[in-house]
Amino acid sequence: MADKRKRRRADSDSDDDSARLPFKNRLKPDSAILATLQALTTATKSASTSKTLTLSDLSLSSTCREVTDLPLSSVQTKILTLAASLARSILSGNGFSFSVPSRAATNQLYVPELDRIVLKDKSSIRPYASVSTVRKTTITTRILSLIHQLSLKNIHVTKRDLFYTDVKLFQDQTQSDAVLDDVSCILGCTRSSLNVVAAEKGVVVGRITFSDNGDMIDCTKMGIGGKAIPPNIDRVGDMSSDALFILLVEKDAAYMRLAEDRFYNRFPCIIVTAKGQPDVATRLFLRKMKMELKLPVLALVDSDPYGLKILSVYGCGSKNMSYDSANLTTPDIKWLGIRPSDLDKYKIPEQCRLPMTEQDIKTGKDLLEEDFVKKNPGWVEELSLMVKSKQKAEIQALSTFGFQYLSEVYLPLKLQQQDWL
Amino acid sequence: MDTGESSDESPIQANKKGKSKTPRKPKASTLKQKSPAEFFAENKNIAGFDNPGKSLYTTVRELVENALDSAESVAELPFVEVTIEEINKSKFNSMIGLIDRERIDEALYGDFETVKAREKRLAKEARFQEIQAKNAALGKKVKEQTSAKGMKGRGEASFYRVTCKDNGRGMPHDDIPNMFGRVLSGTKYGLKQTRGKFGLGAKMALIWSKMSTGLPIEISSSMKNQSYTTFCRLDIDIHRNIPHIHVHEKRDDKEQWHGAEIQVVIEGNWTTYRSKILHYMRQMAVITPYAQFMFRFVSDTSDKNVSIRFTRRTDVMPAVPLETKYHPSAVDLLLIKRLIGETTKQNLLQFLQHEFVNIGKSHAERLIGEMGPDFGPKTPVKSLTPQQIVRIHQLFRQAKFDDPSGDCLSPAGEYNLRLGIIKELHPDMVATYTASAQVFEGHPFIVEAGVSLGGKDVKQGLNIFRFANRIPLLFEQGADVVTRTAMKRINWNTYKINQTQDKIGVFVSIVSTKIPFKGTGKEYIGDDISEIASAVKTSIKQCCIQLKSKIVKKIQAREQQERKRNLAKYIGDATGAIYDILKESSQLHAKKKRMEIKDEDAELLQKVSSRLITKETLSEKLAQHVEQVDYEMAMEYATQSGVREEPRENIYIQALEPQKNFMDLHSPVFVFRLFL
Repeated sequence: MADKRKRRRADSDSDDDSARLPFKNRLKPDSAILATLQALTTATKSASTSKTLTLSDLSLSSTCREVTDLPLSSVQTKILTLAASLARSILSGNGFSFSVPSRAATNQLYVPELDRIVLKDKSSIRPYASVSTVRKTTITTRILSLIHQLSLKNIHVTKRDLFYTDVKLFQDQTQSDAVLDDVSCILGCTRSSLNVVAAEKGVVVGRITFSDNGDMIDCTKMGIGGKAIPPNIDRVGDMSSDALFILLVEKDAAYMRLAEDRFYNRFPCIIVTAKGQPDVATRLFLRKMKMELKLPVLALVDSDPYGLKILSVYGCGSKNMSYDSANLTTPDIKWLGIRPSDLDKYKIPEQCRLPMTEQDIKTGKDLLEEDFVKKNPGWVEELSLMVKSKQKAEIQALSTFGFQYLSEVYLPLKLQQQDWL
Repeated sequence: MDTGESSDESPIQANKKGKSKTPRKPKASTLKQKSPAEFFAENKNIAGFDNPGKSLYTTVRELVENALDSAESVAELPFVEVTIEEINKSKFNSMIGLIDRERIDEALYGDFETVKAREKRLAKEARFQEIQAKNAALGKKVKEQTSAKGMKGRGEASFYRVTCKDNGRGMPHDDIPNMFGRVLSGTKYGLKQTRGKFGLGAKMALIWSKMSTGLPIEISSSMKNQSYTTFCRLDIDIHRNIPHIHVHEKRDDKEQWHGAEIQVVIEGNWTTYRSKILHYMRQMAVITPYAQFMFRFVSDTSDKNVSIRFTRRTDVMPAVPLETKYHPSAVDLLLIKRLIGETTKQNLLQFLQHEFVNIGKSHAERLIGEMGPDFGPKTPVKSLTPQQIVRIHQLFRQAKFDDPSGDCLSPAGEYNLRLGIIKELHPDMVATYTASAQVFEGHPFIVEAGVSLGGKDVKQGLNIFRFANRIPLLFEQGADVVTRTAMKRINWNTYKINQTQDKIGVFVSIVSTKIPFKGTGKEYIGDDISEIASAVKTSIKQCCIQLKSKIVKKIQAREQQERKRNLAKYIGDATGAIYDILKESSQLHAKKKRMEIKDEDAELLQKVSSRLITKETLSEKLAQHVEQVDYEMAMEYATQSGVREEPRENIYIQALEPQKNFMDLHSPVFVFRLFL
């Protein structure tokens, strides 16, 4: 009797296990999955040997504005030239004004050949002697002067530092941040070449080593938290890796799970997250990895419109910083999951799915109109399914099958089936 | 129709039988019937008599609305006097002939203070005094001892005599008893825009007075060209729904007065409904600026007395609403039967053509053809079977008809609405708009809106004034379509209006042959009717658009004054920043000389290092530029806006003598009166 019960319990245990981790039995041995990944990596490497297109390669009907990385001395010269022209204008009794490239939505253009957003050449005049622009013009001159000082001393400061140099004038940080982007556009250089950085946000862990300001960093030995992505990319060099792919994760929680489970040791990979909307540093770092290591990039985002939006920022750039999209975007990111079709494919229970709000549905419908979604028929299909089913799910929804389901079953299975778009 | 009449009679007969004095054993099976008066006495909340306070309010409004209707029906500019007189208990007792009795057994009463309660109270008072003394010692402000609220016994009712006098049509001598003493008999039952909501009016006040005080209603009335005044004192036999006349006599009319004066004594509550009643009067004055109101509250304690005059601001009255016929899509089965019963037309064709709007002769013929072979143009209308009537009803619901026109409606008019707002609120700005007539379920409706900014006795934020068929709606504001629209669907920022800081008055008046009220009290219009919601939204928006240009002008004028200061404020910051760049570059240039710069820039740097150009020179030049720009812009502004306008004050001049021979030329925004 006791024996029987024991057996039954054992039975029920195994039942439990398969119920908790559905599809586990479908998994092939890791070696097989690794082989498919190897194939992907080789394919990517051979494909990306061809030279990447630039704006000048295309003969676009409208001229577009792009910025470049400039050395400090030329930034200095540019600022000086600008200041001198302003001074001359003042001395001749005409006041002064800036010609600021417009970063409004109407001045953006998606270029399918480049697969990113670029800025068109419309600009607006910002005169000092006008009630509506006097404050902004003053802030612009002040930022110019501050950046000039930075370039003279060759130091880096954060956007927050910049704001605190004259709180009274800037009033709040959004104003100085916006003007900083304007100044980048006016001078025609990237924000990094202005020596202004944002606070660290992104983290990286996995099979990569690189040097940060001369110190060698091995990201397999960074503990669970990983290495914070350095805010200025010019400090980073000597990248090397034996990874097969880069895994881009939207959420901190999923990143932690994968890092703790040492997912990168089972399947050699580099795991990156920017904890939500990506900052400039993370985007620059991802691009550098992609360009130097020539690895495929797979993205793991929530199954909601914002997940796709984040994906698009990595891939095609944000509208606010489209003037620098050449340096900030990473081409050819594959959407691995969680995709709307996965909800049914992996039988995610109803209680873990969330109904989309009206705002969500509207965002989804707007996204369907965006060029960067339309260029990928698979994405259009998935997004239409999401808008139709009116359901969304976060990466954490997979935790219903156990906290480790993501790293133990879902991701391996996805990789095995080459289920990316 | 015959059956209908017999059912009208039956309650009276039934009640006659049932009204034996000795109480009998309750019989479960006896079928009881209620007279309409009894029904309303039991369900007085549906007519707005929920509690004594609300009853006082509803009584006032019913009397005022009757008075306005009456005056408008004879095209007389209304003059309405409302007096509420507080009657204390002993006075009330003497009125009903009851002698005041002293209490003998104190413990019998609800407000009797038991020994325990007294101990508690004394302890509390002692504690209070202690704190007070402490506070006084500490030099804190001493709070007045709140007079201990005595427990209010149930019997502690307050009574009020409500008097309302108007200069309207008056009532025919012989009709008066029936007009007051019979519920659901009214003159306002046709299809037209009316103020009354149920046709109960003064009758409900009479039922309430009967229930609460038992005192009769007193009516004086005189009609034009009538040599006498009718005086009538009556109450109502609730069970039989007939008037019970005390006095009904003719008296001399000395002042050549015409109109009616109604006096009723009811239980009420002035303290809790004071503000509601005053709001009602004020809002009524807004929507009826051509009427003169005199409101008085009289009591023994003179500091509570109120006396407000709402003066007439215009003598242009909206036209009297016309009675109209039903629209085919607005009738139900019962209504068709009633129309058939009442019609004088013989055959179906004439019936369709004349008893409904928007059915012409050819249209009627087509409809009859569509009804089926049983119907013909010559079919006698009275011989239609119930099935045939159902068929007509079905067709009415499915067929397409033109929308009814809004000609039968009488909106307040933009002119009056604007004057009403100005006269009662004294706003800084006001804009009004009248939307064109629209249709909901076969009933035409017109939405008028006004938006005001600033003014006296207006609180910050949105102040919403709702009117339905030209009477104010005061209760259940939250769910109303106007409130919802103004709060949620108007983006006030677009029109440079600050929704929380500015004093915004939103006035929306909806008139219709049938207002789609929600709720039993008929106090609000639901938010679910998209036709009305969108009309309200566009009307308010139109007002805002008008205001926006005025507000922008005002902002410009203010900017004009502050421009120079704002521009000059940043000169130091801007030139300082530019100078810093130049100075540091010049030092660098002097030291290393390895910068590839243009000659003119080098020259400039040279001047900076030799202090030919300093921060001060830059500031000075920029200040000159600002000065010049400011001057140019001031000139431009002056040429645009013309000569500086002196603040003007609105005045209103009343006509010197009431002259009768004139003609009015109406436009939505003004009236031009030509004296002949």
